[in-house]
Amino acid sequence: MAGDGSKDPSATFQEWVTQWERAFDKASNEVMGTEDFAQSLNQMQNLQLELQRSFGELMARQLATFNMPSRDDVLDLAAAVRDMDRRLARIETQIRSLVPDGVNHSAPKRQFPPRTKKPPAKSRESSADD
Amino acid sequence: MTEPTTEEQMIAQMQDLVEKTIQRSIKGVQYAQSQKVQVGPTPRDCLLDNGTLQLYRYLPISDEVYRVPVLLVMATTNRGYLLDLLPGQSLVEYLLQEGFDVFMIDWEPPVASERELGLKDYTQEFIPACIEKVQAESGEPDVSIVAYCMGGVLSLIYAATHPDGPLKNLACMTTPVDWHEMGLFRIWTDSRFLDVDKLVETLGNIPEEFVASAFEMLRPAARPAGQLRAWNNLWNDDFVRSYRAIDRWSNDYLPLAGEYYRDTVRELLWENKLCRGELVVDGKLADLAQITIPVFNAMAQHDHISPVAAVRPLLDLVGSHDRHEVLLKGGHVSLIAGPNAVNRLWPELNDWLAARSA
Repeated sequence: MAGDGSKDPSATFQEWVTQWERAFDKASNEVMGTEDFAQSLNQMQNLQLELQRSFGELMARQLATFNMPSRDDVLDLAAAVRDMDRRLARIETQIRSLVPDGVNHSAPKRQFPPRTKKPPAKSRESSADD
Repeated sequence: MTEPTTEEQMIAQMQDLVEKTIQRSIKGVQYAQSQKVQVGPTPRDCLLDNGTLQLYRYLPISDEVYRVPVLLVMATTNRGYLLDLLPGQSLVEYLLQEGFDVFMIDWEPPVASERELGLKDYTQEFIPACIEKVQAESGEPDVSIVAYCMGGVLSLIYAATHPDGPLKNLACMTTPVDWHEMGLFRIWTDSRFLDVDKLVETLGNIPEEFVASAFEMLRPAARPAGQLRAWNNLWNDDFVRSYRAIDRWSNDYLPLAGEYYRDTVRELLWENKLCRGELVVDGKLADLAQITIPVFNAMAQHDHISPVAAVRPLLDLVGSHDRHEVLLKGGHVSLIAGPNAVNRLWPELNDWLAARSA
């Protein structure tokens, strides 16, 4: 075992992985930490955004032709459903709060412990030291 | 390391190697067939469910608790179960056992209609609403915040714009304040090359794939190296359990609200306004010098996301007299979660918080 001074293949492998990871990350960070890299990364991103926008507009026109909802329409619908869901949950909570405790079996009031705990002496000392 | 000195040692080593190889094969099959690892095991109630914002209260497990409740504020890029990973590896469970009343702000992916949410909403609407709810639920006027990464930035902005309370203590973990020290993130978002307006206007919310690739590009070898380590340790159930939980979390990114991303890039990465005391949110100046409550600042030596140089200036910028800095071994995640955090950061945080929570 590595710990008792002999060569453990598993520990050797682990060590190799760590060294490879460090070397690879260091080399990558050197390349990616340059202005040239940042510039080309953002250029590629801009190109991708342009393509995405153009394709999105084209798709929306096609879908409208076939009388079908676009992604934006579906997202708007999802937001509306989610909003309604929330409103219903709020109304449900308000109705529950109107029902007397004895009748409301579904949500028993939780008991929480007293807020009387004091810090151990060690913690009080460290507070005084800071 | 030296060569084995006796024949017995060599035989023992061979036996160990063969045994581990057999175990790897058996457990490798189990691993491939197994379901997603269960995370976030601590029971909790949801107190607020407001779009992307979620507020939870964890059920107590001690007979008495400290007077001041603790509100955990998770980073907006990832899921909060990092702080409640597995039994025995959960900061939430640890704090409950130590006698704290624990709440957590966690985030759901923002939907398209939430693209307008900006720093203003997170720091002047969401956190104050959660603090009010914590006060109402606990019946206590004071609240402590323990925040992770970007959750710390939001908490600092909140604290700086609400200097009259009700915050009692603020503990920040791997929280960048000097954004000009953010390494590769700063280079990649150079204002000469990044058209942040076009990005936000085209995409709306910033997709999780975009967030994931930005983080993964910082350490491109981390994932394959992690998989090799996992294979090497397949015979070790505890290692595999922990690895799978962290691996699940580290693949579980959240999209970012478009305006929030734009604010972060413009105000923090480009202008570094929080560090320079010039950040204005909702008409209020977020001057860190206005923070006078006790502040705990934890950072990790090998943090590749929030480097020490970006995190360390916090204590020089706040106006508090009661300040505590912790620099520990580890990285951005292992500082706060996983087997090492249990023995390093958590006891230190507990001691600091306990002394200020009665």
